[in-house]
Amino acid sequence: MKLRMLMLCALLSGAWSLQAQMNKIQFVEYTLDNGLRVILHQDKTTPIVGVSVMYHVGSKNEKPDRTGFAHFFEHLLFEGSENIGRGKYSEYVQNAGGTLNANTSWDRTFYYEVLPSNELELGLWLESERMLHAKVDIKGVETQREVVKEERRERIDNQPYGSIVEKVFEKAYQEHPYKWPIIGSMKDLEAASEGDYKQFYADFYVPNNAVLSIAGDIDIEAAKKLVTKYFGGIPKGKKPVYRPEIKEPALTGETRDTIRDNIQLPAVVHAYRIPAQGTKDYYAVSMLSTLMSQGQSSRLYRSLVDEQQKALFVGNFPLSMEDPGLSIAFGITNMGVDVKDLEMAMDAQMERVQKELIPDEEFQKLRNQVENDFVTSNSTIIGIAESLANYKVYYGDANLINTEIDRYMAVTKEDIQRVAKQYFNKDNRVSLFYLPKSAKP
Amino acid sequence: MKIFSKYGSVALLVMGMALQLAAQNNDFRKQAPASGPAPKIEMGAYTEFVLDNGLKVIVVENHKLPRVSFQLSIDVPPFKEGDLAGAADIAGQLLSKGTTTRTKAQIDEAVDFIGASLNTSADGIFGASLTKHKDKLIALMADVLLNPAFSEEEFTKLKTQTLSGLAASKDEPATIAQNVSQVLNYGKDHPYGELTTEETVGKITLQDCKSYYDNYYRPNRGYLVVVGDISVADAKKIAQQHFGAWKKKEMTMVNLPAVQGPAANQVSFVHKTGAVQSLIYVTYPVDLKQGSPDVVKAQVLNTILGSGFSGRLFKNLRETKAYTYGAYSTLQQDRYVGFFNAEASVRNEVTDSAVVQFMQELELLTKEKVSQKELDLAKNQISGSFSRSLESPQTVARFALNTSLYKLPKDYYATFLERLKAVTSEDIIATAKKYIKPGNSNIVVVGDKDASAEKLKAFSANGKVHFYDIYGTKINMDGAVVPSGLTAEAVIDSYVKAIGGKEALLGVKDMSTSMTTSAQGQTIGMTIQRKAPNKMAMTVDMSGMMLNQTKFDGVKGEVSQMGQAQPMDEAGLQELKDQSAMFAELEYAKNGAKLELKGVEPIEGKDAYKIEITSASGKKTVDFFDKATGLKIRSIETEVGPQGPTTSTSDYEDYRDVNGVKIPYRLKTVGLAPFPLIFEVKSVEINKGIEDSVFQVK
Repeated sequence: MKLRMLMLCALLSGAWSLQAQMNKIQFVEYTLDNGLRVILHQDKTTPIVGVSVMYHVGSKNEKPDRTGFAHFFEHLLFEGSENIGRGKYSEYVQNAGGTLNANTSWDRTFYYEVLPSNELELGLWLESERMLHAKVDIKGVETQREVVKEERRERIDNQPYGSIVEKVFEKAYQEHPYKWPIIGSMKDLEAASEGDYKQFYADFYVPNNAVLSIAGDIDIEAAKKLVTKYFGGIPKGKKPVYRPEIKEPALTGETRDTIRDNIQLPAVVHAYRIPAQGTKDYYAVSMLSTLMSQGQSSRLYRSLVDEQQKALFVGNFPLSMEDPGLSIAFGITNMGVDVKDLEMAMDAQMERVQKELIPDEEFQKLRNQVENDFVTSNSTIIGIAESLANYKVYYGDANLINTEIDRYMAVTKEDIQRVAKQYFNKDNRVSLFYLPKSAKP
Repeated sequence: MKIFSKYGSVALLVMGMALQLAAQNNDFRKQAPASGPAPKIEMGAYTEFVLDNGLKVIVVENHKLPRVSFQLSIDVPPFKEGDLAGAADIAGQLLSKGTTTRTKAQIDEAVDFIGASLNTSADGIFGASLTKHKDKLIALMADVLLNPAFSEEEFTKLKTQTLSGLAASKDEPATIAQNVSQVLNYGKDHPYGELTTEETVGKITLQDCKSYYDNYYRPNRGYLVVVGDISVADAKKIAQQHFGAWKKKEMTMVNLPAVQGPAANQVSFVHKTGAVQSLIYVTYPVDLKQGSPDVVKAQVLNTILGSGFSGRLFKNLRETKAYTYGAYSTLQQDRYVGFFNAEASVRNEVTDSAVVQFMQELELLTKEKVSQKELDLAKNQISGSFSRSLESPQTVARFALNTSLYKLPKDYYATFLERLKAVTSEDIIATAKKYIKPGNSNIVVVGDKDASAEKLKAFSANGKVHFYDIYGTKINMDGAVVPSGLTAEAVIDSYVKAIGGKEALLGVKDMSTSMTTSAQGQTIGMTIQRKAPNKMAMTVDMSGMMLNQTKFDGVKGEVSQMGQAQPMDEAGLQELKDQSAMFAELEYAKNGAKLELKGVEPIEGKDAYKIEITSASGKKTVDFFDKATGLKIRSIETEVGPQGPTTSTSDYEDYRDVNGVKIPYRLKTVGLAPFPLIFEVKSVEINKGIEDSVFQVK
């Protein structure tokens, strides 16, 4: 099973991890005595159900000498439990005609199954086993350590430009745990004892650190009873969950570096420090990158790919993060174009936004695009379950699934110009040139 | 004591009850909960109507999201494009590249402005947007459909892109195996056996694209599938308003030649020099049409054999034998003629062993009944994926379209799960006997013939391995034998003779070659200067701007990018040393290079001697010399990088005489850049006296 990590996806698929839609989504929410928050959304159009658990633990909750734990658990917790044999998680789900997967970010870990609706109880059993008494032992650790090493080779070391996210975070942060990669250090994973793993499980995989979000063809009252049956008896965590409160000092000047990689075409990377998700400025930053990158008529694409033909690909992607994060601009040069030339052209486009207000018509296009993405984003029940859990975990308000669009629509042209000046300047960025390893003619 | 004991016993009793309760509470966890009653799977409804011009419209109303999509599909009857293969694809892409009133840029702008998407292809147009922008979107769609500009400029761009795509895929084993399988399964006279090649694309004119559009982009075999937040009445109005004036025109249905699988197993091999894996296809055509009662049984059968991680092929070839990263099969129904294919990429050494396993698995299906457990797992996987797919209203639309296209019973999909449930292990073995043909297969292998071809003879009914080129044309490898007594040195000597003779070559004291290539719409110039014995300088420029300069003065080297010079690293220097000789062939003996004559192989239709050259530093190059002319026509360099070996191939063409020396004026390379490059030589100057300062390294 290949379990994806969110960071690359966020970078490649664009900005819109914050989601909601125009038709109001109804849901019920409540909290069990052990602190587990439960969200139920009924949608009877198709007889399927999405069962998901979001744990509020990501790489930022790790200790500096035990990095990679959050992601490692995403692997480890498919190994089985007291009542589920090794490797049987996926067999149960496939036999029932369902699918399953999981992913990890800097801030949270997400597990889900999509099943026929008469298998809701199976999904609850599987997820409650994972929360109550998963198998965390040395055998599973050793197996998954090898798998994670392969994952790292395949997705970071062996992937052209695969190290970008890791490199920019390492350079953009000095204090905050965002400075280490989600996949972590293989050394840390090897140095860790079985006790370390057991402790991490006891600390973070507790009901009071999780949201159980269920969407689909369910009967609300029957679902509530089953939730109590499977999750009611899971004991609460013994101590408060560790949440780092580390303020990263502002960048005070441009950091530049050159990375030699196994690539054919040089690339420019600009990582700008931006505000945390959910803040007023984050929404403006997000719309700024739509202006720059979305569609063939976007500013970067039209000017650098179509007209000047300096880039093969170019875009700017803000990462939505719980603490102040990064927006990563990334351009691959066209054959024979110098990286510096592309960098100047990318900067020129940003300067244009800083100097000139966006014309009315283009601003309207931007709002139309944002609205379209917003509406389209929640077209599957598992997508809705995940969005509801996200809003609950990060903002304590699942109803943002219906109302967050208002925050985007409140952004003005002046806001976009202001954030372009405030955050997208050279003193607030890390700049990397990716060059082919061999300086071959 | 007594009181204590009394309380104590009560306490014990309560504790005991609690323990019992806890035990009970945990009992339910011991095993997976039972499934609830199976839910009723309900298909969404749809409406169908026909416009006067014959356009069939299918509407699936779904108001969950305020979005609408329009899919215009044309049921183009299969026909042969002949030596213009590829024209339809280019015509389809051209539609969105400009209309009589809008440029490409204006279309992009208009689509983005409403946050919509719009794509065109040979047999249809797809568009999607929010409900409130649907009128604008449909107007754009109608414009690209009815008023395409067919601009010469956009046509030329698309043709170039198509050619680059073909060249880039020449090295892809999967493309090669598909090409050859198509030709072998259907025959070159069947439209399904037709391939787009450089030759056919070269012949396509803008007029051919216009003709395709004129003949086939017609409503009478068209479907407009409307899905989403729209009423049937609105959809009717829109369809009539925008597509009502679209003129119909009858299309000719050609008679398709009959297709038959091989009478006995035959092995077809495409040789790829230096391949480290063999891609194996076991394939043949099948007569399995949509709507046949066999379709659902065939789906279960194929799921058991090889549709995923739990398929028998995957378990055998990957999990048990570890021959491959994945092995899968497909049993595809089709209105005219379908196919079966089982495939895996395996390391060279186990090519024949893997074929053994493939054949055993196919035979087993026709001989032994599958177990109930295996049958149930396959059925569960299919029914689960069927039910989950219904979440998307596009699925209902697809079902509606299929029902109409293939004239299926109206309740075909509504009763799918019932038919699936009824499939038994007896059905599976009967279906296997009908469709699984371990004795009538095309065994197609793309790999290195020296590593694996010989052992495959055993699988061929006539004991022979037939060789094909990448477009499925049979080539003769047997006739290509090395004359006895011929040595690698002799081949090199005759090459030296062919390009002018040793004396003429030694007379070259300096040489300057200028060439150009175009990449991604840019013209790139390259000049290589050499001076005997081993000085070299190379510059690469674009539009007069110098991008890269490499110099080698015989000892030291440097490379400058955009005017910034840096010394050459160890590896680069070695490479320059290897390349710096004016005519490397004259110096093999002196430099300690090892030569080996590896045989004769056809290159682009010409028999060529294959010579492997291993330089003193260990770098391997394989050169091919035309048997007839003695000229070098291809060179393959292998480089061992951190990701394993990579190869680049250069073809030399158009040799011309310059001062008594023959120089190739065209150079095609694949593997140097992410796309193929064709260099055209503009000028060659010999003995014009190049200054030493040109090669000077600071």
